[in-house]
Amino acid sequence: MEKNKNVGAIGVIITIIILVLLVIFTNKSTENTSIIENIANVVVVPIQNGLTYLKNKINNNDKFFENIETLKAENEQLKQQNSELEKSLREFEVMKTENEQLKQQLNLAEKYTEYTTIPGTIISRDISNYSKTLLINIGSDNGIKENMTVIAEEGLVGYVVSTTPTTAKIQTIVDSASSTSCLTSTTRENMICKGTIENESTLKATNLSIDANVIQGDSVETSGMGGIYTKGIYVGRIKSVSDGTNKIDSYAIIETAVDFDKLETVLVIVQ
Amino acid sequence: MKKLLIHVFLILAFIFIYLLQSIFFTNFTIAGVKPNLFVILILFIGLYTGRSIATIYGILYGILIDLWIGKTIGITSVCLALVGIIAGIFDKNFSKDNRLIIVFVGALSTIIYEIAVYTLQIFVFEMNVEILAFIKILLLETIYNIFIIIILYPLIRNFGYEVESEIKGDKILTRYF
Repeated sequence: MEKNKNVGAIGVIITIIILVLLVIFTNKSTENTSIIENIANVVVVPIQNGLTYLKNKINNNDKFFENIETLKAENEQLKQQNSELEKSLREFEVMKTENEQLKQQLNLAEKYTEYTTIPGTIISRDISNYSKTLLINIGSDNGIKENMTVIAEEGLVGYVVSTTPTTAKIQTIVDSASSTSCLTSTTRENMICKGTIENESTLKATNLSIDANVIQGDSVETSGMGGIYTKGIYVGRIKSVSDGTNKIDSYAIIETAVDFDKLETVLVIVQ
Repeated sequence: MKKLLIHVFLILAFIFIYLLQSIFFTNFTIAGVKPNLFVILILFIGLYTGRSIATIYGILYGILIDLWIGKTIGITSVCLALVGIIAGIFDKNFSKDNRLIIVFVGALSTIIYEIAVYTLQIFVFEMNVEILAFIKILLLETIYNIFIIIILYPLIRNFGYEVESEIKGDKILTRYF
């Protein structure tokens, strides 16, 4: 019985370790070093250090270690200085974060001076893997109503679907149930941008006309049709254009200007 | 009194899981995919308290989730109630002492729940059908849920039998003996 319990506990621990490793490796940026490189580093670096130390010893290059007493005193002094610096650094970090948040709110308000806006902070994100709705900390008490457009410093975020006195629910443009009427800024081509479940930072633009002239890299903004979104709000850039099996099926992929993963502050356009 | 405490605990567990799911698991993902702890919670309610209570909790939790963060009320309720019914069926036909069976039921419930949610959403919101992306999310979410069931199983089993003896009382079938 005792043995079974131990086996169970070991199983749970192993599962936790595998889960954590899975989460770390699947979310790791591809630009970083590969797993094999990391393993090689772990194995090779200590050996390399040891060999270098030996080489220095043999070549009489270890004069640094002669005066141990002086070094010890110096070390103590440096440790003290280090702790003082660390304390200052922590204070600086707090001030920096505070400053950045205030700057962000100020920039947002200045950028969209033609609109009357209210800033809000995201307090909750969707629990499902298919929906991308957000909850913000301002509601009907602050003058927020349904169907109001929500923006961020970089561009369009979504619109308000419902409100309570203190919160508002936002359906983002990357939500798979969302459809936004847009047009390209240079060629003025109309399109419907829909969210996908595949990617949180791209939209699929469909309903392109047969002779549509859609250019890669062109910027996309709201067309104002549909009655929800205000006209001329920046949505993103065309990442790629696909022809499909025939001209009617052609679609474009749009990279949203807003990074929804890192989004913290939004502005609700009230007028 | 103890029954009331159990129900209070189940409501508190829901709030705790909601916070975990909407704050912690939005960052702690496997390739961008979150687990679904609500399916696991309803599954265990169904396994240890029976079909009726699990279905009621499924509907209740679903309404709360939809009210707080959902786009429409009903879809999550129906699908969580479905998980409650599945758990009730397994409660009557299988032993809960076998970890493998629990893992299998957990995976099956997650798959059925996600297929039901996605299908309903396609019809209600006129969403584009993205089969490959859906299968990828479904597989990763199922794997994630399996990991969590394996980790939590010893804890839930001990608590589950307490709940079972209190709620079901003398209605517990004699199949174990």
